[in-house]
Amino acid sequence: MKVGVFISDCGGLVSKVLDIGDIEKYIRGIDGVKLVEVRDSFSSGEGLERIVRAFKERRIDRAVVTECSPKIAEIRILNRLKEEGVNPYLVEIVDLLGSCILPHRSWPDKAVEKAKVTLLAAVERAKLLEPIESRRFPIEKSALIIGGGLAGINAAIELIDTGFEVTLVEREPFIGGLAARMVRFFPTDDCALCVQAPIYELKGVTKTSRKGLYRSGVSELPGLNIYTNSRVVSVEGEPGNFTVTIEKKPRYVDETKCIGCGECTKVCPVEVPDLFNAKLKSRKAIYINAPNLYPPVYAIDETICKFKECAKCVEVCPTKAIDLDQKAETIKLRVGAIIVATGFEEFNPEVIKEYHYGEYPDVITQSELARMLDPFGPTGGIPIRPSTGEKAKKIVMIQCVGSRDRRYNRYCSGICCMIALKHADMIKKLDPESEVQICYIDIRTTGRMHEDYYERAREQGVIFVKGRPTEIVLNPDSGKPVVIVEDGLTGEILNLEADLVVLSTAFVPSSGSKELAEILGIEVAEDGFFKEYNSKLRPTETKIRGIYICGGATYPKDAPTTALHASSAALKAGKFLRSGEITKDLKVAVVNEELCGDCEFCPVVCPYGAITTVEKEGHVVARVSELRCEGCGICVGTCPKNAIELKHYTDDQILAQIRALATKLDPKEPVVLAICCAECGHCAIESSGIFLIEYPPNVRVMKVPCAGVLKVHHFLEAFNAGVDAIMVVGCKPEGCHYEYGSIKAAQKVAFTKTLLKALGIEPERIEMFQMVHIEGDRFAEAAKLMVERASSLGSIKEMIKI
Amino acid sequence: MIRVSADFAKEVKKRLGGETITNCYQCGTCTSSCPVARVTNRFNPRKLIVQSLRGKRDDVLTGEMIWLCCSCFNCQERCPQRVEIADLIYALRNIAISEGNVPNIYSEFVSALYSEGKLVKVAGFTEKQRENFGLPPLKKPDVEAIRAILAETSFGEVLKVLEGKE
Ligand code: SF4
Ligand code: SF4
Ligand code: SF4
Ligand code: SF4
Repeated sequence: MKVGVFISDCGGLVSKVLDIGDIEKYIRGIDGVKLVEVRDSFSSGEGLERIVRAFKERRIDRAVVTECSPKIAEIRILNRLKEEGVNPYLVEIVDLLGSCILPHRSWPDKAVEKAKVTLLAAVERAKLLEPIESRRFPIEKSALIIGGGLAGINAAIELIDTGFEVTLVEREPFIGGLAARMVRFFPTDDCALCVQAPIYELKGVTKTSRKGLYRSGVSELPGLNIYTNSRVVSVEGEPGNFTVTIEKKPRYVDETKCIGCGECTKVCPVEVPDLFNAKLKSRKAIYINAPNLYPPVYAIDETICKFKECAKCVEVCPTKAIDLDQKAETIKLRVGAIIVATGFEEFNPEVIKEYHYGEYPDVITQSELARMLDPFGPTGGIPIRPSTGEKAKKIVMIQCVGSRDRRYNRYCSGICCMIALKHADMIKKLDPESEVQICYIDIRTTGRMHEDYYERAREQGVIFVKGRPTEIVLNPDSGKPVVIVEDGLTGEILNLEADLVVLSTAFVPSSGSKELAEILGIEVAEDGFFKEYNSKLRPTETKIRGIYICGGATYPKDAPTTALHASSAALKAGKFLRSGEITKDLKVAVVNEELCGDCEFCPVVCPYGAITTVEKEGHVVARVSELRCEGCGICVGTCPKNAIELKHYTDDQILAQIRALATKLDPKEPVVLAICCAECGHCAIESSGIFLIEYPPNVRVMKVPCAGVLKVHHFLEAFNAGVDAIMVVGCKPEGCHYEYGSIKAAQKVAFTKTLLKALGIEPERIEMFQMVHIEGDRFAEAAKLMVERASSLGSIKEMIKI
Repeated sequence: MIRVSADFAKEVKKRLGGETITNCYQCGTCTSSCPVARVTNRFNPRKLIVQSLRGKRDDVLTGEMIWLCCSCFNCQERCPQRVEIADLIYALRNIAISEGNVPNIYSEFVSALYSEGKLVKVAGFTEKQRENFGLPPLKKPDVEAIRAILAETSFGEVLKVLEGKE
């Protein structure tokens, strides 16, 4: 094994503080080091070429390179080596400037020692590095979109326009979702179901116009397949190659034959309240929600149809479109990516007993009011009192019904204020004489042109009462609902009698979200909405590559935000599918099937659902999906049998580095080992260097991908090798890059403390620190604390080998 | 100059029953739920809370509002922020008492409990009525036992405060 060590002087910054000659001499003495070079820089130009030549001509097997902007240098060096056919995983990069110079300027002698030991550890690790293979996984260039509301439709159009095939699955017989019921949308005051027409050149389809969904041409897009009345029942396989099973319930009407004449409805004898229209009218067993929806064809409600007993509609249909024998179909498809766009739905306010929704007919929700305000709706656009059918002239709205309420949903649903203002505006425009009063806690109109609605409402004479009503009672004389509320601005308790009380309810995740999340192997958050990979920067991704989320499925959203979100998810999916393959370096967890057996711990802890189990010779053994594994090593840290290893951070590699870092060049000086995760932990340590915050050079740093990879025996081995104290530095649990790696590490540190105690060793020799990446000052403080501790405790007298 | 500060809210939060005070976002559900507030504007639980949140310690502790709550717990049932309003009002009363701010009627209750073992004296007339209805005579409370309990709880301190007041 021949190791080459390349020390960069970083334009003189290193030699200004450290005696490079001294370091070089020390390095040359390390077993296996066959070549040492010192230059200004090794990340570009001649320096970089010298590394290449060292591999190609001087036949070194491994390299250790020190650089001063480690990430950028690393990328450059590794890319160049890859070009030359050298496996980049054979090179170990060390940031000498950041780890040994900047934070230790006051102690140049000690810094030299730290540099020596750091390089020794890098060499020892390098000797054990193994080449990592890169593999290509073919990808199916098509996507499945679940949910045919605004988000799903928009995402579908974008993906088709970028050149992929899309299957859209909607569980209702008609697409459009909640939007289809909401008449008009803010801030454009146009129809809720106007979508951006897809971009394709054809006479009659103008690119720029918005169109009603039914005439937008969406359904004719080449490559788009829409399944209504359908559900996703299972998803198997790997990112890029999902096998999806869809169950399509029978519509009993042939979509290709039905011309929407409605003859069938006329003869159908079965009538039920029309839920789509807030039960304000009835509909037949064969029905269409509204003629301007997609698909513009009828459907039979199988829960009430009399089928063979009746079959009247079959007779009258002029195109013979009705087939009462239609059976459910199971469709299997292969797709590369999946977008979840299942939206949200209205919270059912029945549980708030004091508002008597469902009991008092004149208490309704905003979506029910929207149906009344639809000129083609059940009341012809006029708000009415459902109890009598008279026009409602005085309307009281109540905001935050079930939102911002710790008993139901803590969050602000975000769009209900705007919906109330939009409806108030519509009512006032319809009849300026009608009265509208809105009881609110806070009015929230964030968004372009949204405040205009609030201004306009005040101009139109809408009264805003700052207070959340305690209850709605019925006036026994008039039979009308009375809202009891404190006007917080005057302190008076008001009894607002109304023709119609409208509840601005919360919006909650669509029913079935949890079940769907389970099918897909993704997560829902505490509030029940689908959880994004990272809510700041990756709002439309999930932890599983190839599965994306958008629109109201992640949180209630208005139309503009939904459109943005849908485009984002489509872009992410498109990016993933684009090349038709994924190339991945297999820096993943590998199971040793000889050792693995029957415990099934790791499948539970893997944050990415990358581990499944299979039967093998009467045992259950773990199997890692190379595609899903993100290389955190949490499984490794959890496995009780050492049966699973993370490539590039194997036990041997970690231990070799630990033992080397324990080397005491000066026996009087205590050694503190800081093991940090490559995310916030390392970033925090680095930031103390960048911001010139000093900490004692006794602290020696080593990096692992995630603190979750660490095991108790790593710590014991470190103490055995002579380390006096250990600090484990990970992310804050709530911001942990790998979900619970930091928590797992903290558990192991706690366990180690117990063990140490049992061995008669001071448990305070090991400590877990959790910080965010900018907390270099906190790291420096922690480092000082641990060095002080190590000095006062002295060396460990006797370590019992376990 | 009127000063606002969160100090009093912090103090109240530390008391048993006062923990939820900062949950309040002033929606007024409590006030419209309150049977007392419905009949008099001398009492308004939302205002009592906002005064506390603004740090108007003296106004709250020496004013009459904290004594007007009838502990029906209506507000507490309906508060969307799970503010334990009635419990909070007890916490405020406890602070007031420890500083000697108690309406006289309460002192009377307390001394009656201490000396007779009952909050209200039972008149001879009541005893007669019971007899007429065929009810057994009321038992004499075990005053010693009650005093022992009172001494074990912070009631003893309350008594001391009250005695000091007289
Ligand atoms: S067969 Fe069913 S849908 Fe057709 S008319 Fe009869 S009840 Fe209506
Ligand atoms: S290394 Fe992390 S992502 Fe990979 S299998 Fe283990 S726990 Fe899962
Ligand atoms: S009901 Fe609760 S949140 Fe609303 S004002 Fe009263 S205490 Fe505050
Ligand atoms: S508990 Fe007190 S404040 Fe609350 S409603 Fe009843 S009387 Fe009013």
